Amino acid sequence: MRTSSWASMFRSPFVVIITLVTLWFVATFLVFPNANLLIRTFFPEGQFSFRAVEKLVSSERAMNSLWHSFALAATLAVTVNVVGIFIVLVTDYFKIRGARMLWLGYATTLIYGGIVLAAGYNFIYGRYGFVTNAVRNWFPEIDPNWFSGYFAVVVVMTLATTTNHMLFLGSSLAKIDYQTIEAARNMGASTMGILWRIVLPALRPMIFAVTVLTFLTGLGALTAPLVLGGTDFQTIAPMILTFSKSTGSRDLAALLAVILGLATIVLLAMMNRVEKSGVYFSVAKVATPLQKQRIPNPVANAAVHVAAYALFVVYATPVLLIVLFSFVHSSAIVTGSISWDSFTLDNYATVFGTPAVLRPFVVSVVYSALASVIVVGGMLFVSRLLQKHRNPLTATLEYLLHIPWILPTILIALALVMTFDRPNPMVGGQVLTGTTSLLLIAYVIVKIPFTLRLLKAAFASVPESLEDAARILGAGSMFTLRTVLVPLVLPTAAAITALNFNSLLDDYDAAVFLYHPLYQPLGVAIKASTEGENNLDSMSITFVYTVLLMVIMGFTMYLVYGRGGSSTKRHTRRARTVAAK
Amino acid sequence: MHKRTLTAATLATVLLSTVALTSCSSTAGEASSSGESSGTLIVYTNSNSDGRGEWVTAKAAEAGMKIEIVGLGGADLANRIVAEKNNPVGDVVFGLNNMFFETLKAEDAVAAYTPEWSGDVDKKAGDAKDGAFWPLVEQAIVTVYDTNTVKSADAPKQVSDLWDDAEYDGRYEVNTSLGQATPQLVLAGLLAPYADEEGDLGISDAGWKQVQDYYEHGSPAVEGTDLYARLTRDEVDYGVLPSSGITSRDAEYATKTGVISPEDGVPYVTEQIAVINGTPRQEQAEKFIDWFGGAEVQGEFAAEFASYPVNEKARAEALPEVVELIESLPKQDIDWSLTRERISEWVEKTELEYLP
Repeated sequence: MRTSSWASMFRSPFVVIITLVTLWFVATFLVFPNANLLIRTFFPEGQFSFRAVEKLVSSERAMNSLWHSFALAATLAVTVNVVGIFIVLVTDYFKIRGARMLWLGYATTLIYGGIVLAAGYNFIYGRYGFVTNAVRNWFPEIDPNWFSGYFAVVVVMTLATTTNHMLFLGSSLAKIDYQTIEAARNMGASTMGILWRIVLPALRPMIFAVTVLTFLTGLGALTAPLVLGGTDFQTIAPMILTFSKSTGSRDLAALLAVILGLATIVLLAMMNRVEKSGVYFSVAKVATPLQKQRIPNPVANAAVHVAAYALFVVYATPVLLIVLFSFVHSSAIVTGSISWDSFTLDNYATVFGTPAVLRPFVVSVVYSALASVIVVGGMLFVSRLLQKHRNPLTATLEYLLHIPWILPTILIALALVMTFDRPNPMVGGQVLTGTTSLLLIAYVIVKIPFTLRLLKAAFASVPESLEDAARILGAGSMFTLRTVLVPLVLPTAAAITALNFNSLLDDYDAAVFLYHPLYQPLGVAIKASTEGENNLDSMSITFVYTVLLMVIMGFTMYLVYGRGGSSTKRHTRRARTVAAK
Repeated sequence: MHKRTLTAATLATVLLSTVALTSCSSTAGEASSSGESSGTLIVYTNSNSDGRGEWVTAKAAEAGMKIEIVGLGGADLANRIVAEKNNPVGDVVFGLNNMFFETLKAEDAVAAYTPEWSGDVDKKAGDAKDGAFWPLVEQAIVTVYDTNTVKSADAPKQVSDLWDDAEYDGRYEVNTSLGQATPQLVLAGLLAPYADEEGDLGISDAGWKQVQDYYEHGSPAVEGTDLYARLTRDEVDYGVLPSSGITSRDAEYATKTGVISPEDGVPYVTEQIAVINGTPRQEQAEKFIDWFGGAEVQGEFAAEFASYPVNEKARAEALPEVVELIESLPKQDIDWSLTRERISEWVEKTELEYLP
């Protein structure tokens, strides 16, 4: 039973407070600064200018790049779902030998990305990559550039963006009511039949949520096309980046970003509609944990094993290579002639020899941890509010909270600097520009849409009967939220916190304009140590930082997942006890 | 019911205290950054890599100045300074080229100050008219090749031969990251001879044809791969580089760099220094500029980082090979005020129409 009336929403003082705080935050940090920037951009002399539209439409290159971005996003929405669902099934649903090791291999995309990931694949399959070289020894007629263009970008990005599937689909799958599967089997349903008609439908809210994320990742693809796209497949993101850094061309950047953002919002609206029309019961109400399924057909079983291990190798090689390369001289890597002499500890010596090398790590860890905890904590209430009370106000709020997806981080950061450079009544007359808090605010802002989407999907898969039971038994709404609902979405919330933390650790786009001079974050430090006309070891140093980041991120994931199984069970049990009281 | 309001109240307190905390930390941050007129001097620069930042900080400490270097890429740094101009965080900026400084000046983001060493530098290299910024270091933007693989005799005499002559098709690197300083300077150098008030964005059609051909026949730079790596593995034969990068690359890649020296010259850029407008630490900022731009420090800097100082008294300290190279390369005649005024439009047009 979902109430849509306004009255119920304003009956609880708690809901009123959350609504007011959210409204204040959205107005102050999302709407006001960005509206400010966009108005200055699109209405330079107080009048709307069609200049940006005309420029873009008449540019063949812009139109092509835009089209490439959309093609990539659409392709990824399919391919990532296929690969993502496959790896979730082989690690969590089917009985596969060595599933835990497979999981670790697939999970490598959690701890690295961006330029390093693209470069990693390029070192293996690219023109000078060793697989290409090895194959060409046997078949010299093969084009050395085979791994480039649309195909290469799709392959690399598909593998790189299954992270969300692993974490969120995995946790949704664990909550499936196993008795429905057993019942279906007793009625004679086949393995495929059960998968297709029971398991996948139960995962739908989460599949929708991660599809939107995948689509968005595809639209914003930056480094993979730059490294692997060649001249035939360049996307729009590099152009947006160039234009957003030039005052005169900022309208073009904003327009392009808005086009991409609106496309995402349209997809989101469609998914919301589908989500609303469905009823999902995916959380187990009885204590029968999901048991792994055997694949009865031996041929199919062998094929799935082979595919799973092949994927494992593809996932794990670039990571191993990066760890290896962090010990190799830069020139040996780029010229592709690695011998025993090329191994060195110099790269690590360079990084650790820099004075105060640890400080940026500490600064970034503190910022990222604060931001990811604040955003997940806040969005727990907000997503609950949006899901529980559906009316025009909450619907508007929900769309407004997606503003950070529409605009590139650079523009959001610039808008914040320019808006809060004078005392602002919305924040109690403070000047925020040049303070330590503005970067934290920016980090919270940019992580809102991602957090909101996934938390909402997590809440959507909680059956209402649990809540109803709690209410009938006399639990207040806050008590229900705290003891029944939150424990159920806690695994998802923890995963989101970890992912947010990991992705903010080496952020550059927001930090570059917002960081306080005395608190330099890691992204800026990495950039500083890898840039420079005479800095030829930049790639190796990037690898060293990546390895260090992998250690931190791996530790974060361990905190969330290494002991995850037991805590999930405990919470579910507690939720059940409460519901049964 | 009572219990519920209590929890709600607790939560509200938590939320409000978060907000309060945020504002508290903001006050603290503000005090340390821009509130006081003493304390650490914040120095903005894009010239902090390769250990330059640490070197300057240490030398400044020896001279009794406490500075903090904020190092960012050229375009990012200029954007940040402009965005912060109503409440500046930095006190001094150095290292950006004259094009960026012209922008900062046009935005009133830097304030005029005549340093003690103003007599030792060529005023024309800086802001001759208003003295808003002052020159430190000069660099040439050169087209290079490896003499191990390309004989000097085979190298083109004019840079434009690279795209006019089919022999070099796809054998020279073009940098397509037009947000960065060097590619912008290449563009400015290409367009400079074709200034034409009647033409599109102040450039004749012939000029735009040059740009089109330049990008069409070049091999786009590969993200994350150095030009010299591509030279040594025979992917390309030619590419563009700021002159200060040559020495270290020859050492690293065992190349012997040759430079194309066209009759019309090559683009030169001058890195500048200025006080950021509205800083509360004006006096300290001026002291830093007097110290850093002076002959002694510039000379030591040149010897350490292979730079070519504008300060004539410091030039004696510069490395002989650097001096030899710079003095062998004629300066291309570029109208910098036109370039500054138009460069973002040129970049935009190139990005939209001519990049591969």
